[in-house]
Amino acid sequence: MDDQLTTADGDMTARVRSAALAVDELVPIHTPMLWQVARAAGLGQQDAEDVVQTVWVSLLSHLDTIRSPEALTGWLVTATRREAWRVAAAGRKTQPADHELLVEIPDPRADSEERVLAAEEQRTLWAALRTLDPRCQELLRIVAFVPRPDYDLVAERLGMRRGSVGPTRLRCLDKLRVALRAAEGRKEGLN
Amino acid sequence: MSVQKTTRPDGQPGDEHLLAMISSVFEAADPVPVGLVDRIRLSVVLAGLDGDLDSELARLAVHEAALARGHPEESRTITFDSSSLTIMIRIDSNADGTVRVDGWLAPPHRRRVELTMANGPVTTDADADGRFAFLSIPRGTARIVVRPPEQSTGESQPGPFEIKTVVTPSLML
Repeated sequence: MDDQLTTADGDMTARVRSAALAVDELVPIHTPMLWQVARAAGLGQQDAEDVVQTVWVSLLSHLDTIRSPEALTGWLVTATRREAWRVAAAGRKTQPADHELLVEIPDPRADSEERVLAAEEQRTLWAALRTLDPRCQELLRIVAFVPRPDYDLVAERLGMRRGSVGPTRLRCLDKLRVALRAAEGRKEGLN
Repeated sequence: MSVQKTTRPDGQPGDEHLLAMISSVFEAADPVPVGLVDRIRLSVVLAGLDGDLDSELARLAVHEAALARGHPEESRTITFDSSSLTIMIRIDSNADGTVRVDGWLAPPHRRRVELTMANGPVTTDADADGRFAFLSIPRGTARIVVRPPEQSTGESQPGPFEIKTVVTPSLML
């Protein structure tokens, strides 16, 4: 990817075309992760779609500065988060926005929660997730969609100090396990 | 997603298992909208074909639906901002199932305006007040491309114009 781009520097059109081909292959792989990033920032469906699309098109002109798959994932997450906050801030002027992470999944389809509720395991996990602090909720929601080798870089881009990243992820997962245990305890208490 | 179910000695799910569960919860509750990946790929390919990365991507500023979601005669107003230009469009449904797109450029300029769709662009010219209109457009994915003066007229323009092509993200009409 890098080679193609650097050798084609003299020919803008060829460079852009090769970037478009590379990006086109990446879109299906990383869009699910970026969708969650945009939604975790509190955007509605339409705004989230626009943000994710904007990020992909702007990647075309930044691809030659990105040197590794980890850096790519980090760039995408950071760009999506920034753009999502920008759009969310603009939207606040015209409409009250709900930025409470996961207090309610902002999905207009009435049946979506039903589908979640259908699975007992998922329902318990959902309830447990909602008891975590917003930072852990956002971190876990995003990291769950990130390819494993890229975890640490992405978590770092989410605003955590280098070196505290792994522990932060583990701490959030441990909190979730505690919450799950509590939820299961309540269930058994009811039976 | 099939991830091996791992359990820790204390009976709690392991990290990988927990993360896989989290992603499946969100995939079920808040999935990527149908067609989004295809719309993005179209945008990327179109941008690549233009070969014009000097163009400026306008960003969504305001999006308002005038009537309740799902109303058959929904009218939407969308505003896109770029550093040189604000593009405001209103999308109205026509009785025959097509849509009408009315737009305004601010500051007002005479520009060539393209509506780029999967099966090719349609073009019109903004008037001196920056107004333009596409009267009958099939529903689907499209984006708006506002050309700078040189490309608009094919003539050289006087003055130090530093105006780039402005493109919007693609939108569903």
